[in-house]
Amino acid sequence: MENNKLSETTKEEIKQIDSRATSVNLFGRVMHYAGIYAVALMFLLAGIVLQSLGIINNFLTTQNMVNILDAVSMLGIVAVGMAFVTYSGQFADLSVPTTMALTGIVAVQMLQYGFLPAIIAAVLAGLLIGLINAVAIGKYKANPIIWTLAVNYVTLGVIRLVWVNKQIYPDMIAKTQRASDLFDAIYRLRFFNKIALPLILLIILVVFLNFIMKKTKYGMQLKITGSAQKAAKFTGINTEKIIGITFIICALTATLAGLTITSLSRVGAWYNGTGYDFKAVTAIVIGGMTLAGGRGSIIGVLGGVLIIGLMNNIMTLLGVGTFSQDMIRGFIFILVVGINAKSLRSMGRDDA
Amino acid sequence: MKKLVTILFSLLFVLAATGFVFAGGDSEVSESAGAGNLAASLAVDVSVLKAADGQALIKLEGAERVVPARPADPSALPETDPLHWWDMEFAGEITNKTNIPESPADGAIGKKITMIVHGDHPWTTACTNGAQKVADVYSMDIKIQSPNWDLAVQNQMIDQAINERPDMILLIPLDAKTALQQARKINKSGIPLLLFNMLPEAAAMDYAIGWTGPDDFGQMRKLSHIFADALGKKGGVAYVQHAPGGSPYFARCFGPISELAGYAPDIKVLDKQAPGFEADKTMQLVSDWLTRFGDDLTGIFASDDSAQALGIIEALKKVGREDVIVVAAGNSKVGMDLVKDGGLYAITYQTAEGDGALAVKTAADWFNGKEIPAITNIPQHMITKADVDSFYPPQW
Repeated sequence: MENNKLSETTKEEIKQIDSRATSVNLFGRVMHYAGIYAVALMFLLAGIVLQSLGIINNFLTTQNMVNILDAVSMLGIVAVGMAFVTYSGQFADLSVPTTMALTGIVAVQMLQYGFLPAIIAAVLAGLLIGLINAVAIGKYKANPIIWTLAVNYVTLGVIRLVWVNKQIYPDMIAKTQRASDLFDAIYRLRFFNKIALPLILLIILVVFLNFIMKKTKYGMQLKITGSAQKAAKFTGINTEKIIGITFIICALTATLAGLTITSLSRVGAWYNGTGYDFKAVTAIVIGGMTLAGGRGSIIGVLGGVLIIGLMNNIMTLLGVGTFSQDMIRGFIFILVVGINAKSLRSMGRDDA
Repeated sequence: MKKLVTILFSLLFVLAATGFVFAGGDSEVSESAGAGNLAASLAVDVSVLKAADGQALIKLEGAERVVPARPADPSALPETDPLHWWDMEFAGEITNKTNIPESPADGAIGKKITMIVHGDHPWTTACTNGAQKVADVYSMDIKIQSPNWDLAVQNQMIDQAINERPDMILLIPLDAKTALQQARKINKSGIPLLLFNMLPEAAAMDYAIGWTGPDDFGQMRKLSHIFADALGKKGGVAYVQHAPGGSPYFARCFGPISELAGYAPDIKVLDKQAPGFEADKTMQLVSDWLTRFGDDLTGIFASDDSAQALGIIEALKKVGREDVIVVAAGNSKVGMDLVKDGGLYAITYQTAEGDGALAVKTAADWFNGKEIPAITNIPQHMITKADVDSFYPPQW
């Protein structure tokens, strides 16, 4: 009898605890179904409201939307590749900036042999860095942050040593005008006079990499590896290979971004790509991918990239100064990530 | 025993006497060598040296400037008043030189100098190339160090240089305010200091034998006149600023703003932002400006003619707004190509090689016993489509 009474009390208490644990606010529900795109939508709505109030102009125009997408396309290319590293539980690849710089400067240097050899050489250079990271981190279990940071410094040193701290120009290196023009067009080629090539590349990458992550055997094994590497190993998954491939994917997307940024700036230089490592990590985290690995999606990362673009655009349209922009950006990041984490946890998920 | 002591004392006496003779002889040799060094050093002609762009490496014509009287309290004046910026623009013109070492006046040949720059950049490479060219003709032993934009590392390099006791330290201060502590420390060690390129806080000049570099405010004032004329002295302009911290952040934005307030008061300032030196970020900023201001935006003044200028031009091309007048500071290859193509209306001739060369030449002058002016500027010139060809090949 007493046992039954105790049992009923316990049940009631558990019910109360469950109710507290699963009490989800409206934001949480929206986040559950729409993910980070709900936040992107909120920024979009904020822009529309500000425009309707006459505070900002021309926000909801095709040109402005194209501008936003243009502005984040290079960041998106880097972020979707680095997301694989994060998803595998290896945090981030900090060698991305110099991978971008090296591939760009190698391409410019090789333009003397034509456009195609330049691109091939750049891809090989990127692949080499990816392979080095893959072996060191995948096979020899080097700490990903320390190792990729070290690779970043070594690559930087190599670029400075080989090119004597100078920047090189495609139009001065290329032997033919055609090779120089083709390289110039990597960034400047526009479809329908509006959509730039990097944006097309980003869309293709998002579709392709999302398929790899969610629909293939490799993607499933990557998820298990990212969630619990030891458990994955015990189930027979070759975690060394799985992790290694993520660094190769990351290096290849960094190569694409490196070629794009070098084409835009018309110089091969060691500083091309500076800051893209932390910008990409920011987009990945905002996009809902956990740094612990195994959770999140490429589509989410794209959402994170779009939020960064929207936020920058609205702040400039509002006339917010550079320093205030940095502060507001940091504050909004904390808010978005915090609310997202809290809402998902209250729903019994720990994706953030 | 007595004999032994006598022999030892005799030996000591002979050694000492020999030492004195040799020392005296050496002093005579030193003096004569010093005089020879000075004569040879004074005979060195640096006017024949050329920069990579074919221009004279060291040229002082066109560098003169008029210094107005300092107002009682410049900071009390509005930012649109050119005299508000007096302390920054003319830093070093009024100095209270403290503990400045006497020149040895024994010639520059063979002197050991340490040059500490601000950071790695193609501009810096060109600057140090210029410095090396002058050091070579004087056979000076120059050690160049770069802290790669890290103030803590620059401070360490200063400590290391003080320990190594070179004949002079040449410094590009990374931060205008910290420059005062850096200059004091070097001054206290007794090693002569020459500041160059970046303007420090005025008080730092008290501890240096002099300062050499561009008259950034002056150049920007000149450029702003060309800019205003091209705009018909009307319209709305936006400023793409330099990185915060150093003097160019103020000179390349408030220089033209304060100048145009008097020269072309109908020109409105629409916005000013510091996106850094990335073409993609500048492009995004200018695209957003075009959305925000539309046709009201008729001119853009940029702090950098390389990545910033490219970003601006790409953003304008995207929306077919090639009517917007763009001017920028600097004369990189990218900037000169853009002037040639017509995208940029004008840029400033800011010789990077000449900047480094002038610093070493001033150091040599000091070793030669010459009087060093508090401020020595590199020449000013505005490059437009009309004369851009004469500045090829670019220095960086």
